[in-house]
Amino acid sequence: MNRTSIKLLFGILGAMVLLALPFLIRDRYFQHLLVLSGIFVILSTSWNFLAGYSGLLNLGHVAFFGIGGYSSALLALKLGLSPWVGLPSGGIIASLFGICLGIPSFRLSGPYLAITTIGFSEILRLISMNWVELTRGSLGLYGIPPFTALKLPGGLSIRFVSEQNVYYLVLIFVVLTLVLMHKLTHSEFGITLKSMREDETGAESIGINTSRYKLTVFMISAFLAGLAGSLYAHYIRLISPEMLSLGETFSVLTMVMVGGLGTLFGPVIGAVLLTFLSEGLRFLEDIVKIDIRFIIYGALLILTILFMRNGIVGLFRKAGQSDSGRPGD
Amino acid sequence: MAGAVLQGVNLTRWFGGLCAVKEVNFEIQAGEILGLIGPNGAGKTTLINLVTGYYAPNGGDILYQERNIAGMKPHTINNMGIARSFQIVRIFPKLTVLDNVRSGLVDRRTRSPIRVALDSILRSRDSQMIGRAGQARGEELLDFVGLIQYRDELAENLPYAYCKRLEIARALATEPRILLLDEPSSGLNPKEQNDQITMIRRINAKGITILIVEHVMKVIMDISNRIMVLHYGEKIAEGTPEEIYRNPKVVEAYLGGETSAQG
Repeated sequence: MNRTSIKLLFGILGAMVLLALPFLIRDRYFQHLLVLSGIFVILSTSWNFLAGYSGLLNLGHVAFFGIGGYSSALLALKLGLSPWVGLPSGGIIASLFGICLGIPSFRLSGPYLAITTIGFSEILRLISMNWVELTRGSLGLYGIPPFTALKLPGGLSIRFVSEQNVYYLVLIFVVLTLVLMHKLTHSEFGITLKSMREDETGAESIGINTSRYKLTVFMISAFLAGLAGSLYAHYIRLISPEMLSLGETFSVLTMVMVGGLGTLFGPVIGAVLLTFLSEGLRFLEDIVKIDIRFIIYGALLILTILFMRNGIVGLFRKAGQSDSGRPGD
Repeated sequence: MAGAVLQGVNLTRWFGGLCAVKEVNFEIQAGEILGLIGPNGAGKTTLINLVTGYYAPNGGDILYQERNIAGMKPHTINNMGIARSFQIVRIFPKLTVLDNVRSGLVDRRTRSPIRVALDSILRSRDSQMIGRAGQARGEELLDFVGLIQYRDELAENLPYAYCKRLEIARALATEPRILLLDEPSSGLNPKEQNDQITMIRRINAKGITILIVEHVMKVIMDISNRIMVLHYGEKIAEGTPEEIYRNPKVVEAYLGGETSAQG
């Protein structure tokens, strides 16, 4: 059997498992974790697009997640708009902010960009804390409506109250995100981003308008993060400024690093693994009495950087005798 | 030879109190190989950086295709048909050799980034420049510079001499009319220098005009149709290799006379 047919077989098997999963394991808490994982897959994939493929170290990425969540929650709560309108709106509003944050990246790179972006997300967190009339401050917004039922022809309708149905909704978005990522990174656009990441001066010399490409990347990435935020808001139905905390950015960073920076499936593996791991180890919290999640993430991040720089995907590549060992492909 | 393709008029560039390039006038004739030499710190690389948009001049014009391109951005200048190599190679280490070249093939002259993104999403890979056609063109260029057997190797694994050639292949991928080479032979052994000369001649034979900065005299004397000499940012001589070879000012600049003892 050749490589392509093996890949196809795995693809079909994987799809079947993903579709059947909520029926195989009917535990609602497990299904809830699946939904959360899916949302984090979208969020970490969008960060990977910036940091992994384009070399733009954005450490304020949760800002886009928060903007998406707050926008669509507020649109629903204050204007009574349907979550189905809020979802794309959340993405679009986040991508407008993405353009704003993209502008400093023209001249800043590496640690300077990182610090600027941290500042950006902290400002937004403080706004969400202190603009009490709009955001209810640290109390957060509650009572966010869930996705309303979709009417199908023939009198059927799909409701999105159960974890199971939200799972399928999120799954659709995850698949769309990954297809989009694959197209954007294995193409003319992708090769342009990678060359910018590798050497910006060199990239300019072959005619790449690096500023406009960076802006485009920020826009797309922020859109996806905003979408994830909106999905989160309408699923959890309660959001607070904690959604914008630095810790959240670092969870996303850890997910991508553990999975494999600059790879398509790295963020997927990382997000699912870490979501389940941190929940699975919750019982430890009763013993140590602090938020165990960040301790685990911190430890994993250090171990990843020390022992598997290319993440889990990198390990698989090495084991599978590197199809010519291309990182970042 | 059919007139000047590029003209520098009174080009001046200061760095703080240092005048790196001082009121330099020059012309590059269509189809020629123009050599640019001078002792260390003469302003050779600065001149290349001015022409390719990496520095904006403090004074003077650069005329190309009836436009003043002085102060334009590097990517715009490349899109207009001027490509370059760097003194210290700036290839893309984590991309394969083939992808390094293909990165230069993407048509960015007529398409905005958003358009390229949409094309990447909507069109099949084969209908893009990096698809089958791009692959063939990339391989052709690699073959031209003699790196075809390394096409799937990561660029970071190439020896230095090959990196220099790869960078030139990448510049050629953007289909330039003028190619500016900043010390293409530095760090190479004599055998590799000879190969480099042969390659530059073959590029020129394709009709590409070349400006070459070089320290290795053998290379520059061998290859140039004309040579211009910079010294402390000023043009002190211009002419055929033979004329330059006998020019007392040039000899003085290189070997040092009474007047330039501080250098």
